[in-house]
Amino acid sequence: MTKLLEVNDLRKYFPIQKGIFQRTIGYVKAVDGISFDVQRGETLGLVGESGCGKTTAGRCLLRLIPPTSGSFIFGEEQVDLAKLSQQELRPFRKRIQMIFQDPHASLNPRMTVGDIVGEPMRVNKTETGSALQDKIVELLESVGLRSQDTRRYPHAFSGGQRQRIGIARALALQPELIVADEPVSALDVSVQAQILNLLAELREKFQLSYIFIAHDLSVVEHISDRVAVMYLGKIVEISDAETLYQSPKHPYTEALISAVPLPDPSEQRKREHIRLEGDVPDPSQPPAGCYFHPRCRYATDICKQETPELRQVAEGVQVACHHSDTLDLQGV
Amino acid sequence: MASTGKTSDKTPLLEISGLKTIFPTDDGIVHAVNDVSFSIARGQTVGVVGESGCGKSITGLSMLQLVPSPGRIEAGEILFYRSTDDEPLDIAQVSPKSELMRQIRGNEIAIIFQEPMTSLNPVYTVGDQIAEAIVLHQQVDKKTARERAIEMIARVGIPAPAQRVDEYPHQLSGGMRQRIMIAMALCCSPTLLIADEPTTALDVTIQAQVLGLMQELQAEMGMAIMLITHDLGVIADLADEVVVMYSGRVVERGSVDDIFYNPLHPYTQGLLRSIPVLGRTPQKTLPSIPGTVPHPLALPAGCSFGPRCPERMPECNQMPELLSINSKTENDGHPVRCWLHTDSEG
Repeated sequence: MTKLLEVNDLRKYFPIQKGIFQRTIGYVKAVDGISFDVQRGETLGLVGESGCGKTTAGRCLLRLIPPTSGSFIFGEEQVDLAKLSQQELRPFRKRIQMIFQDPHASLNPRMTVGDIVGEPMRVNKTETGSALQDKIVELLESVGLRSQDTRRYPHAFSGGQRQRIGIARALALQPELIVADEPVSALDVSVQAQILNLLAELREKFQLSYIFIAHDLSVVEHISDRVAVMYLGKIVEISDAETLYQSPKHPYTEALISAVPLPDPSEQRKREHIRLEGDVPDPSQPPAGCYFHPRCRYATDICKQETPELRQVAEGVQVACHHSDTLDLQGV
Repeated sequence: MASTGKTSDKTPLLEISGLKTIFPTDDGIVHAVNDVSFSIARGQTVGVVGESGCGKSITGLSMLQLVPSPGRIEAGEILFYRSTDDEPLDIAQVSPKSELMRQIRGNEIAIIFQEPMTSLNPVYTVGDQIAEAIVLHQQVDKKTARERAIEMIARVGIPAPAQRVDEYPHQLSGGMRQRIMIAMALCCSPTLLIADEPTTALDVTIQAQVLGLMQELQAEMGMAIMLITHDLGVIADLADEVVVMYSGRVVERGSVDDIFYNPLHPYTQGLLRSIPVLGRTPQKTLPSIPGTVPHPLALPAGCSFGPRCPERMPECNQMPELLSINSKTENDGHPVRCWLHTDSEG
């Protein structure tokens, strides 16, 4: 496998401004130095609770918001997307696309489905005329919609179908990487499975790579090859999906897995439940040392003082915890 | 601890039978709740599960006479046993604005909603909002009510309750707001708590806290819980009995073990198969249910699940009854609304 994207030390700080002069009095470190890579054809899951910075990270990668610092080395050309000007970035925009969470808000209600799916191709002048129409139909069919749907408007479709339209639009420019931000969390259970299957099928068909951002651990496990767990703007653990879920190395990962109720009553009765105390701290005033230490049941003195670095503990397993070598944590 | 056959040895608290709640619209009548029957025993947790639009929330609102206009309860009974020896009261017959209904609402049957931010009033302190219910339902003065509010805030596990009582909802996190909602719902010791998607807006670790809290308070105060959710994991965690709804109707009902280990209705089976389960070797393809939930104004003839059903047969053009496979009555432990399970004698 070849590397498609390498993210190094990505940071996004939002200033907190106050007073009539809008003086900056502090920063919310939404993304605080994360590094990971995505291989071609791979799905990397980015999981964490609300406010952990997973969506901000995804938006920075697409340069929808400017990152504070960091580099994203993309493609065979090894171009650093973070350094390019908007003009220079244009050819690369085609190659990274996004699927949004809310299928009701992300489609223009005044445009027909054909226009929505065709717009990226018209803007980028990749197809014109009847070739464009053919391509639109082909895209709609590949996501399970029909050719006659091109003339209808988004309101005529259900949530799951709208999400299919959003996916068709993301595929229109034949991207190499798709950032999918909570693509199934607004959908009903029975429809969620259809969309997950579709995403998996399209990945094979078009050799796509995904960055799959979600809060639902079971969904992430299902679709991802590797998973990165984020907490307060940092990656606390990253490893292949099976290892992460079977033998987590970070206490936060362990607690997250334990908190997911299993749809299996007797299993659920037998499980030991780890209940984290308290809430995620305010990201503008993170605790000293390891950000997780106030809620961690294994925390010792060193955790209160020193911030653990993300380090390799085994082949393909990186974790940011002082005690990861000595802890024996529970998986699923 | 959930176990089968729990219903029989418990006294009933609420019995719903043949409940129909309709919404007249310009395009026709929406049968949001269509012939729904189930019962809740004292101290029991009944999970109502289904996808959006299946009528699970409207069932909950009907029980409190809170169906939003133009909706109304058209038929059916909601028998509420206010005390163990009295005759039951039929809530379906009580006027929504009557004094009697006000006494029941919040006092004997309380409800918590999904979105804690929109269900709390942003211009009152949380203490005032909890105390309001206490002053309304219990004959106490404001000072005592405030003390009880602080007590309740402490009981739902919020640190520094004496300070929190004077804070406004925006000063609290989502998890804490939901705890305040629970405090408000439980401050009058209701016998039934309706929890409508209580943890859907919360993160998993906070969800675990809130679900744990609900279980603890139930053990302590002994109220019954009607838990409305689409999350089968939450159901497996909390419920004793499960009601599965689809397109306004109950399609299957049974103990939590019956529903999870011996699901009879193709919809229940499909639902259980289609969710990714943590730690089960991920399959390449999830067995999904084809199609989508039908529009409530364009329900298919016969069984509403028919067009999506893998077991479809000619009988499905007629609506099956909710029947138990063995006793052929509805009141046995595990009734199901499917032609597959009604054919033993032809």
